[in-house]
Amino acid sequence: MAAPTGDSAIKTIFVAGPIPGFRLFLALVTSAALIVADVRFDTLQTARSAIATGLSPVYWFGNAPSQLSDWVSGLFTTRDDLLEENDALKARLLILERRALRYAALAAENNELRRLLNSGEVLDDRVIVAEVVSVSPDPFSHEVVINKGSRDGVRVGQAILDSTGLMGQVLTTSSFTSRVLLISDSSHAVPVEVVRNGLRAILLGNGDISALELVHVPDTADIREGDLLVSSGLGGRFPKGYPVAEVKRIHKDPGEPFVQIEATPKAQLNRSEMVLVVFSENQELARPTQDDGSMSPEGDASVTEGGAD
Amino acid sequence: MLSVISYPVFAISILLGLILSISLFPLGWFEFRPEWLALLVFYWTFRAPAQFGVLWAWCLGLLLDVLEATPLGVNASAMALTAFLVLTVHQRLRMFPLIQQCLMVFLLLGINQMYVHFIKQILGGGDAGFSYLWPALTSALLWPPVCVILDGLNRKLG
Repeated sequence: MAAPTGDSAIKTIFVAGPIPGFRLFLALVTSAALIVADVRFDTLQTARSAIATGLSPVYWFGNAPSQLSDWVSGLFTTRDDLLEENDALKARLLILERRALRYAALAAENNELRRLLNSGEVLDDRVIVAEVVSVSPDPFSHEVVINKGSRDGVRVGQAILDSTGLMGQVLTTSSFTSRVLLISDSSHAVPVEVVRNGLRAILLGNGDISALELVHVPDTADIREGDLLVSSGLGGRFPKGYPVAEVKRIHKDPGEPFVQIEATPKAQLNRSEMVLVVFSENQELARPTQDDGSMSPEGDASVTEGGAD
Repeated sequence: MLSVISYPVFAISILLGLILSISLFPLGWFEFRPEWLALLVFYWTFRAPAQFGVLWAWCLGLLLDVLEATPLGVNASAMALTAFLVLTVHQRLRMFPLIQQCLMVFLLLGINQMYVHFIKQILGGGDAGFSYLWPALTSALLWPPVCVILDGLNRKLG
């Protein structure tokens, strides 16, 4: 033992007591128990979200530099630039409105057809807009933090979109923030289908932010480079029909049972500032209607009218 | 050697460390991000071993676990380990010149990182290679300025 023990006659210049081996032991044992409880039994979510709520000032300050730079750049934008941007946005709005008009009609028609087929699908989803306030400090995990939490109704498992495609899903929530697992994380998988012919497959993240992997596609499957992959809605986690990725490269090896397919995510995973949190009515409706199938046509019809507006 | 420390400086430095460990960082330089909180645990255990020890470090590690979304307890036990190692060497550490202190920072924070990486591997995450040691190196390079600034603040306000 290098540290002096309680000899009160001599006042040492070193103020530490005995080496706290016991405390370390205590800390390690507690940590081991916590890790096991967190990983295996999932019991610590409330504690974690309580701490995360307490840490929300840290999240806020962590995002402050980028907000400040936004504010400063907003301060120095000229009136001409703003007018120009305004015109461009108006033009874009007009185009999108025209599309939305067509879409509303198509959605109504589609819902009507689905109702006739007694199929339990709803086309329109409610969304709220959130902002990415932080990215994961761990370079090996692809996660971001958004500024909407359980106070805003966000729940674990909800899908996150940006304007171009599916980004990921909510992993944990606290009162004011939520953590989102991106589709490029190596632990993430999305059930998708090829929009051209409905071929189903699983899209895996592989830790690369600009490339995803389509797995278990047989050698003879009809898939081409440039095919759009949309979420298939199977598995009940992601709503159906949102664009996820585009097939970039197909490599056929005659010796292998499956083709190797690389896809590029449609969403801008590394730069989206504004994202959409999807409240899929589908998920909430699907569970009760699974119990008794007779309920589903009425349930669909009532939501169909809301969705077509 | 410091005879007094300032608790407000402690609180603010820890808050700043937490903020810096999640604030936006250039994407290409991501794996070089210094381990701010571990560096601060190192500093405070080194400077005030009577006040800040293993348990404080454990609590701060728990906060980092929440911020990084690692399983609760991974960073906490790593921080406790770091604080314990600092406590065992802090008397010798005082005699070392600054360069040698930097080496010690690299060593102890490297152990911290290695421990975290090890646990993550057991839990089925992480990947191969030694790139997880970069934060220990950048933290070691940051040790002289951090040490000088915090010492100055402690002398002035403590």
